[in-house]
This record gives sequence, C-alpha cells and structure tokens, in this order.
Amino acid sequence: MGTKKKSGPYQIDRRDFLRQSTLAGLAIAGSLPNVSWAVLGDQLHIRNYQDISTLDPPFTISGAESIVFKAIFQNLLQFKSDGTWDTELDAAEYFEAIDDIHYAFRLKRGQIFSNGSGEMTADDVKFSFERIIDPDMHAINAPDMGTLSHVEVHDRYSGTIVLKSPYAAFIPIAAATYPILSREAVTSVGGRFGVRPPCCSGPYLFRDWQAKRKTILEKNPNWKGPEAAFDEIHIYAMTDAKAAEMAFEAGQLDCAEITVESVGPFEKNMPPDSFLEVHPSGRNFWLGMNQTNPALEDLRVRRAIQYAVDVAAVVEATWFGLAKPAYGPIPRGMLGCRERTLIPAKGDAGKARALLKEAGIELPLRLRLDVNSDALELTAVQVIQWSLKKVGIEVDIHTQDNSTFLTMGQEETGEQWQDMQLFMMSFIGSADPYYSLVWFTSKQLGQWNWERFSDEEFDRLNDLALATSDAAERDRMYQRMQDIMEESGCYRFISNGVMPQIVRKTIRPRFSPDGYAMLRGFRPAKQQS
Amino acid sequence: MLKFTARRALLALIILILAVSLLFAMIHMMPGDPASVILGPKASPALKAELSQRMGLDQPLLVQLSRFYADLARGDLGVDVFSDREVSDIVFEQLPYTLALVLTAIGGATLLGVPLGCFSAIRRNSLLDRVTAVMSVAFIAVPSFVVALYLLLLLAVKLRWFPAMGAGADGDVADQARHLVLPAIALGLGWVGYIARLVRASMLEVMEDNHIRTARAFGLPERTIIVHYALRIAILPTVTILGLGIGSMLSGALFAEIVFSRPGIGKLLHEAVITRNYPVVMGSVLVTTAFFVLSTFVSDIINAALDPRLRESGKSS
Repeated sequence: MGTKKKSGPYQIDRRDFLRQSTLAGLAIAGSLPNVSWAVLGDQLHIRNYQDISTLDPPFTISGAESIVFKAIFQNLLQFKSDGTWDTELDAAEYFEAIDDIHYAFRLKRGQIFSNGSGEMTADDVKFSFERIIDPDMHAINAPDMGTLSHVEVHDRYSGTIVLKSPYAAFIPIAAATYPILSREAVTSVGGRFGVRPPCCSGPYLFRDWQAKRKTILEKNPNWKGPEAAFDEIHIYAMTDAKAAEMAFEAGQLDCAEITVESVGPFEKNMPPDSFLEVHPSGRNFWLGMNQTNPALEDLRVRRAIQYAVDVAAVVEATWFGLAKPAYGPIPRGMLGCRERTLIPAKGDAGKARALLKEAGIELPLRLRLDVNSDALELTAVQVIQWSLKKVGIEVDIHTQDNSTFLTMGQEETGEQWQDMQLFMMSFIGSADPYYSLVWFTSKQLGQWNWERFSDEEFDRLNDLALATSDAAERDRMYQRMQDIMEESGCYRFISNGVMPQIVRKTIRPRFSPDGYAMLRGFRPAKQQS
Repeated sequence: MLKFTARRALLALIILILAVSLLFAMIHMMPGDPASVILGPKASPALKAELSQRMGLDQPLLVQLSRFYADLARGDLGVDVFSDREVSDIVFEQLPYTLALVLTAIGGATLLGVPLGCFSAIRRNSLLDRVTAVMSVAFIAVPSFVVALYLLLLLAVKLRWFPAMGAGADGDVADQARHLVLPAIALGLGWVGYIARLVRASMLEVMEDNHIRTARAFGLPERTIIVHYALRIAILPTVTILGLGIGSMLSGALFAEIVFSRPGIGKLLHEAVITRNYPVVMGSVLVTTAFFVLSTFVSDIINAALDPRLRESGKSS
C-alpha cells in the first residue's frame, strides 16, 4: 500500500533522492584516480596463456612453463632470438659433437646459482641431465632425453655427454631445452620441487608465484651475460585471450597473445603506442581419417576426401588470412619442411567426385567428424563440412570437450576409437622435426596414431632420421615421410596456425619461431640488445 | 531455538554428504582419461598406469568414494596431480578471493536493493517506483557477463578508473578493494533488481496486514511501523533468497573471475574440470557445496530468529 504521509526519516522525496544520489556518485567519481594503469619503465608486464604447474624440468608439461624457466635458468645451449631454430652457446663456452654419441662441453666460469648454491659446475650438468632419465623420478619428460646414457665429468667445468645410440634431436630437444640446476640446491629440497625453484642462474631470478595470478621475476645481480633489461617481469596467468586484450587496452599489459579474430579490429583501431606481431605457431592442424573404419577402408574414398577439402578456404576462414596452408606436420623454417603438398591446397572437387564414383560409393556418403570444442577448430571443421558437401559427403560434426576428445582415439580407454571416422586434430610440435612425426609411427598405433596409419618405410625412415647427424640427409628423409603420410590418404594437412601478439611500442619483443615469448630478449624500445 | 539449530545442522550435514557423493559420481563418470590428459603425449603406458594407480582411478567408484571420505575425515583433500601441492592449500588459497567477491556483490546488492524495494513500496506508483521497477527488470534481464564487459570497456579501458584485471597487491587493502569494484558490480547488479522487487512485493503484502493498520491506529511513527512491524516480516523471503544467492554466486563467480582475470575458486574448478584434475575438482566442489549448505543454514537460522513461528513449526519461510 502506498502512502503520501510525510513524517519521520523516510521523508525523502524524489528530488532529494536524485540530488543525493547524484552528489554521492560525483563524490565517488571525484575521489577516483583517473589514472593510467600503464606499466613502469623498469617493469615488463606480459600475459602467459596459463598458470605454471611446476618449474622442475623433468615434469614441466606446457609452453607456459618454458616461457618462465628460459628466463631464470641456463641451458648448455639456447635458441637464437632471431626467429630461427638455430642454437648458440648459453652456459657452455664450448659444445661440440665428438661423434654421433658423444658431446663434449665446457662451462663458462663464474656462473653463480642464486640462494648461495655456488658456482655452476660440470657435476651440475651431470645431475640435471641424469635425474631426468632416472627411472625412480618417473619423469614425464624423460623421452626428450632420447638415448642419453650418462654424463662424464672431466673436471670442474668440462665433461662429455654420452648417448647409448645416435639421437639427432639431442641438441634442440635436450641440450638447448633442459636447464642446468644446482645439485646442492635441488638435493637440499628433497630432490624435486614445484613452482618455487631452489636456485636460478639466468638473467632473471624467480621472486614470487601467486597461484592463478602471476609469476614475478627480478633482475639477477650476479648474471654475467648481457644485462637483464627489466628490474622486474610480471607474467600474468590469463587463460582468456579476450580478457588479456582488454587488460592491454587498459594499459595493464605490455605484451599479450591475442585471438586471430581480434587482429583485424586492432589493425583498424590500434590502441595508442601499440603494434601487432603475427608469428607462426608450432601447432600442427590436420584432418585425420581412421583407415580401419569400414567407411574409410578404401584408399580412393580417403583420397577423395583429401581432394574435396579446400584447405585454402579453411585457412582463410579460420585464421582470417593470417596463416598459410601447411605443407605437412613439419612447419616452415624447420629442417624437413616440404615446399609443397602432393594435393594442392585448393583441392579438386572434380577429382574427388571421380574417385568416389570409381570406388562405387553411393552418395550422399554420411561420415562422422569429431572435433574438440576449440573455437578455431570448430570454425575449420565447418568449412571442411561445406567442402565435403559439395562432392556429396554429408558430415555430422560431433563436438567434444578437450579432455574427452584427447582420449577418444586411444585403445586403452575403450572401443570408441573404432567408431571414429574423420577427426580434426592439432598438436604442438617442438624444436626438431622428429617431434612432429614420431606420433605417426606404428608404435603409436592405439595411442596417438588415431588414423591407424602404418607404413614400414615410414617407420624405417623415422629411425634412420633420428640416427643420422647429416642435416641434408635428415631433411630428405623427413620430406619423404610426409609424402608417405599424404599418399596414405589418412591426412589432409591444414595449417600450422599463427600466434598474434599485441605489444606496447615501448617494448622490443622477441619470440621463438613457434611464437612463444623469449623473455631474455625483451628490451625497452630505446635500448639496444 | 537450540533444538531448531541442531535439527537444521544435521539436515545440512546430510545434504552436504549426499550432494558431494552425487557430484563425486558424476565427475568420475565423465568421459576422458585423466592420466592421458594430465601427462600428455610423452607419457608411456607405464607412467599412465602409475598415475592412475596413484590417483586411485584403478579402483571401483565406491572404493574411491569411501577413500575420499576417509581422507576427508583426516583433513586430507589429496594432492594436485600437476603441481604435487596439497589440494587444501590450493583451494584455501583461492577461496578468500571468491568469498570477498561474492560477499561484496551480495552485500552491495542488499544495501541497495532493500532500501529501493522499501521506498518503492512506500511510494507505490510514484515516478521513482516506476523507474525502480524498470531498472530492476533491466538489471535482472541483462546477463551478468554483458554487464561485466561493458563495465570493463567503459570504466577500465576507456576511463581507466578501475583496473581491468587481477585482484590487487597482497597486503594492500585499498588496491584489493579497487580491484573488487567492477567484478562485484557485474556479479551483484542483477541481484539489486531482484532484491528490490522481492522486498517491494513483500512490503506491499505486509503493509496490508491488520497489525500494521492497528499500529497506525495507535498513532505509532511511520518509521517504527515500517522498520519494526513491516520490514521485519517482509524481509524473511529475502533472507532465504540471499542464502541461496550466496550459494549460486559461488558458482556464478566463474564468469567474473575469467572476464576480470581474478583468481578464485570458480576459475580453479573450471580449469580442474577441463584437465580432469580430480583431486582439485573434488576439493573445490566440497568447499563450494559446503558454503552453499552453510549459507542456506545461516539464512534458516536468521529467519527463525526473526520469526519465532518458524522455530515452533520447524519450517523455513
């Protein structure tokens, strides 16, 4: 029941209410600092796409962690910051392959671990490498060490890494990737650690980790190399790229990976003092075909699908023209990358129809296509669906959440792999072509080889390419392996994608060839490296 | 009152056990092999088997559930399979951020919604009542994430009055409060309208009651009538709704935590579900369910304290 009676403290009329509300609002607004949240000159604020789980090298599982540990640790070798996969010396002043299974090294003198853990020695190299292959460690990353047998220590600074058999990927995947830790420091914390390393030796030191928020690094005063450019680096764990874009626009980040669909809008309406860099990503996207499924047993059907898929259209629609069609799982710029595919990116719908007719397929042919719920891949499969429809193949898209999808093709998790027909796959490669192709060998049948592709020559070349140190020979072998994959009809290679970054003009960034931030190379724009 | 409280506490405990058991079963029945997801492609079958065994996933579901409760009785929520950290440490590290957000949002919504609802009821059909009605419906209708995005664009990106991400520096209460403003508004705005409409409707009903008419006939001041005789009864459904609201906000905080890049239990749970990190999922689910049950329990107790009839009947409003 309303009342017009005016008595007591509730005698506030409409005008009073509006006046007082307005005054209160103005008071609040007036008290707020109209500040720029822009970063300080001696700090770098950067997005990481997820939080770190551990910085202990045997157990790291994502690129998010390697972004951090490459800044705080030293390897024997490191990748150059020129956008290539070439390596240069890091903690080592000398590193040489004596033969296919022996690598001699000598450390620079006076490289000091933090937290009073003393000078880096050859024994620390032995400890750091051998703990990764120690069976008691159950290290996820043990396979990266390949055929490592042991490390012989000759004196305080020099030693020899001994492999059991030739392992051509040792330099990029092990020596230039896994850091050297202090035996004393790691042993003192029980032999393994999590997100708080007991020692650092790189240009930056680990200062703090705030779960689901950020990791803070600070300049290492004992660093003997080129001086670290920033007093502090704040690495924010931001899973959502859109939130990172907003934070960048609000001035809270200096550099952030953004989504491909945001590149166009940013180009049209660039935030002040900012620029874009678009780098290829190390991710490999492909359409896989399970050749043991009855609908895809006939090679002609698989070849028809290869010809039907217009990769150029898929890439254009998915990456807005920023990415290029892939030549295979091995990305451009890496040893083993082909210069063309056997089937042109545009495909050939006429040839696809002819192959289906030759195979005696009654149209429309209905096929199932599984894909995880990633936005990029969902876009890609819709264009694939459209491409296949043009030749009479009706595709039912089944979207799965990522964790479900990742186990669909694995035999140990059930029988569902038998029902899989087409699937959109993506996988992040590494610094050596071996890592891009090893998943398609016969040994991987039932694990990650969901296409059930099996070829003797492919398996033999995979072993040979890993055992030879002749780069030209390896290049030829890896190219041939990708031809074999394509000839099998099990694969339609889509793209390696891109990693767009937005950067403040006050920063001169450095990224690896697969698009990850190389924090050591970041400098203020005015500073020369 | 003591008997009522004990009865309610027992009921809350039963609800908690049932809810957590149900969620445990549902989570473990989701497709997807945690060992494959967690360890990635490099893991050998032996390593995967070892992890499955370590997580107890090789046991029947009932055995896993009984182990979960046995560990819980010892205060052990397990270990995060990624970082090897205690789940209890991880959950209680994130919980304060979500609680601060939820309590600020619901507190702010109550502080605004209750007076607005009262005022609308008292000034029924006035311009302000109509404006409040339109605004309330608008606040309720607009999805919270839309509010969040516009707040971000306007107040963080354009005007830069508030930060766009994070939770503020540790130990700096003012900074943390500044970081709370936008997410709390985004989360609580819909509740302002909801509470205002609820209080208004309840007040209008109560103001028609005989005891209010009698109080007026006795010449009691309007303030006394409204606060002591009308609002005290009219607030009962709102208290119940607030109890439920806190619970739903605990899970609803996820969008605010993602959009504003805040740490919190919602984001923790979301990421843990995606990666099938079961110990963290169960730890987060247990804590959020416990808070949901606790908040409804507290609202029942408050209702009973405000209305003695509920104590006697043992029913909540």
